[in-house]
Amino acid sequence: MRRFTSALFLIGLGLLIVAIYQQLGLQASSNIGQAINTVAADQLGAANFVTAVVLGYRGLDTLVELTILFTAATAGALVLGTRKPSTKRDPDAGFILQTGADLLFPLLLIVGLYIIMHGHLTPGGGFQGGVILASAFFLPILARPGSSIDHHWVSFIEGLAGASFIYIGLLVMFDGKAFLSPVAGNGVFGELFSAGTLPLLYAAVGLKVGAELAGLLANLSDTEAVD
Amino acid sequence: MDINLDISLMIYIAAGGLILAGSAGIVLSTHLLRIIFAIALLEAGANLLLLLASYRDGTAVPIIVDDHIPAVMADPVPQALVLTSIVIGVGVLALALGLVIRVQRTYGTLDIRELRERMAEDIADDAGIGRPVSSHAPLPVQAPGVVGADANE
Amino acid sequence: MNNLLLLIALPLITAFLLPIIDRFSPLLARLAGPLVLLATSAIGIWNWTLLGEQAVVIQIGGFLPPLGIVFYVDRMALMFAIAVSAGTLLLWPDGAKDRLRQSTLSLILAAAGSGLALSGDLFNIYVFYELTAVVSYGLVVSKSNPSAFAATIRYLIISAFGAALVLCGIALVYQATGTLNLAQLAQLAPEKLDNPQGLVAFILMLIGFGVKAELFPVNTWVPEVYATAPTRVSALLAGVVSKLALIVIVRLLVLVFHQPEAQTVMLVLGILGVATGELAAWRARDFNRMLAYSSIGQLGIMFIAFSIPGQAGVFAGLAVALHHLIVKPAMFLLAERWNGSLANLAGAARSSPIAAVLFIVLSLSLVGVPPFPGFWAKLLVLVNLAEQAQPLYYLAGVVILAGATLEASYLFRVASSFYHVDKQQPLPSAPRTRDIMLASALTAGLVASIFVMSPLAEQLEGMAAQSSDVDYYIQTVNPVVLTGGQR
Repeated sequence: MRRFTSALFLIGLGLLIVAIYQQLGLQASSNIGQAINTVAADQLGAANFVTAVVLGYRGLDTLVELTILFTAATAGALVLGTRKPSTKRDPDAGFILQTGADLLFPLLLIVGLYIIMHGHLTPGGGFQGGVILASAFFLPILARPGSSIDHHWVSFIEGLAGASFIYIGLLVMFDGKAFLSPVAGNGVFGELFSAGTLPLLYAAVGLKVGAELAGLLANLSDTEAVD
Repeated sequence: MDINLDISLMIYIAAGGLILAGSAGIVLSTHLLRIIFAIALLEAGANLLLLLASYRDGTAVPIIVDDHIPAVMADPVPQALVLTSIVIGVGVLALALGLVIRVQRTYGTLDIRELRERMAEDIADDAGIGRPVSSHAPLPVQAPGVVGADANE
Repeated sequence: MNNLLLLIALPLITAFLLPIIDRFSPLLARLAGPLVLLATSAIGIWNWTLLGEQAVVIQIGGFLPPLGIVFYVDRMALMFAIAVSAGTLLLWPDGAKDRLRQSTLSLILAAAGSGLALSGDLFNIYVFYELTAVVSYGLVVSKSNPSAFAATIRYLIISAFGAALVLCGIALVYQATGTLNLAQLAQLAPEKLDNPQGLVAFILMLIGFGVKAELFPVNTWVPEVYATAPTRVSALLAGVVSKLALIVIVRLLVLVFHQPEAQTVMLVLGILGVATGELAAWRARDFNRMLAYSSIGQLGIMFIAFSIPGQAGVFAGLAVALHHLIVKPAMFLLAERWNGSLANLAGAARSSPIAAVLFIVLSLSLVGVPPFPGFWAKLLVLVNLAEQAQPLYYLAGVVILAGATLEASYLFRVASSFYHVDKQQPLPSAPRTRDIMLASALTAGLVASIFVMSPLAEQLEGMAAQSSDVDYYIQTVNPVVLTGGQR
């Protein structure tokens, strides 16, 4: 019975997808994206307009997104619990993985930090760079499952980075302007130190995401397997 | 219809296919991990559809390099939206996998039908009411040699 | 008015810093949460007194709409924002286990709920909704028993499915209109969204947001989750969060999707919700699930009410929503010790007479017995349904009345068993004093409102008029006309 109704639902969904395509009208002649492209360079001083949208025009969305990651990591820690110290750990990985991890760690660190810091100039930014940082810190765990991330440092960094994101936003508010306004001048367009607080915000985002994902991955890998 | 037919049609088919595949996985699968993967597929399809919303052919990347401003730049808003959506998806999936691990550890099974029955039993036990018995369950078998027992009891 | 953003920023910054604070001073960490929520409630109430007849728009980051995100603060939105802060404060978790994590999650819930109530941008609403969902996954699983894990993963699957549907709906809307700002969507809706594409987008978003609003058919998670979550969490979810999701759908319906088909879909799903909810509640054999199914039924009534076109529908729906916001958490508070089989509750009046009386008063109001507020709310819905003079609305009225009969039947079945004296059975345990006090406060508020029913109704009607006035919304937000220029 359930399979029958499910199949019906899926056939209906398929027909709906086809029908929507028939009905899809003209795209809107003007949309907010085009308007943003026109004004973003002057208003925010960022060369990368996607960054301008993510951190400027839709900064609140980014704040909530950070919070979602934080909540998922917290809830994940709540669900997975802590490992009993007596349980056996997996053996160390082979020579290739260990050497590779040692070589890749500084490389990934540099690439991640570069992408974070240049988020307002080139494609990339805090989230992308943060994920690379997280993988940099997770590789050693893959290579040597005995070592594990110090969760105190992880929660310290992620809490501090997240709080600084909100703090930068709040600082502006006490200046009389609205929450999360861009400040600190726009600087010279195209330079590393330009676009006001955008690089700072992305740095906070990158550190937070990196710490969070590293902690989450460590938690997942730490859980005991059923024998 | 004025949407540029070739590329946007292909992207639409890809998005629609992913959404259909993801939905099929969620409603039809019985293995919990398959359902989680299907959720990932569904979210990928939805993100693709969101990017398609303001697709225009031949636009340049919305980044200004060396003060050279392209004539027509792509829409940065869906890109930012999808960025947010992907991160949300990662968070939810990570939490889902953590839950799947705990479910496997406590119930020992990842079959969603069996899980549902045992969860209902556990809830009933915690509440102190009798376990839900299906009306299709077979009647208990009478032990042979019981004298005078009514077989229809 | 800009300080309303503190309703979001303060709880979040506290939540982020809580682990660090806890390392230095556990006492401060324990107090920080309730203090912050007290502050945000105070800010909300202070702004309420400042908010006159006009609605206020807060531009986040100073960017003009529609390029930036705006918060639209009318009386209805502010009322729900205050309700979220106050509700999270009153229903603060008090288990000793995992105290830090539960406090963090509760703070984030307060922030997410406030954002959901106040936001005026479609994608912003979506991300706040997702935040509410993820926080609720964390809160529901607090008890860490096996059935909690299973219930949470099932809830997660349905919720993630709904979220993806909402994204598809947003994609369709953005494709047609090129904007995400609700005011500008309201402006463009008559020409761009009054077509099948718009209807499909609405249905996708209805089902997606409806997961939290316990809409039929995506409410299968409700009984399991309410049975396995801590009762305070169930109270928050059933009382506050479901209303927020409902208000989001109502905003979309009132501002953007004016098609009559949209209202018909909501009406049909509401009728089904009432029917299935009340019937299932009648058959339920344990207290928590009875309350859960009853909640589904009541939310069905709200969906029916909001599907009535015009200001009258919003007024009726608001009345039922506000009433349920107070009654259901109070009932769940009583369920903390009374969870378990209904048969075991016999004789509860002897172990806790106050709680029994509270339950009777709350049930009377829920069913809709005069002079309690529940009666007025339901009467409002029924009168407006009758005025519509269409068969489907009449059917809705009949279903609501039948549902009320069922409600009376199962609620008073329980209430009468309280006074049934059975010498063999042990008495059920009494609810804790703290829960009784809180429930009494809520019930006292309910009873007190009987005496101020007239001015209260006027206030609600004013709120409904303000919120259902589309032109006023567009005028207040005043989105800048977009230039179609390419660059």
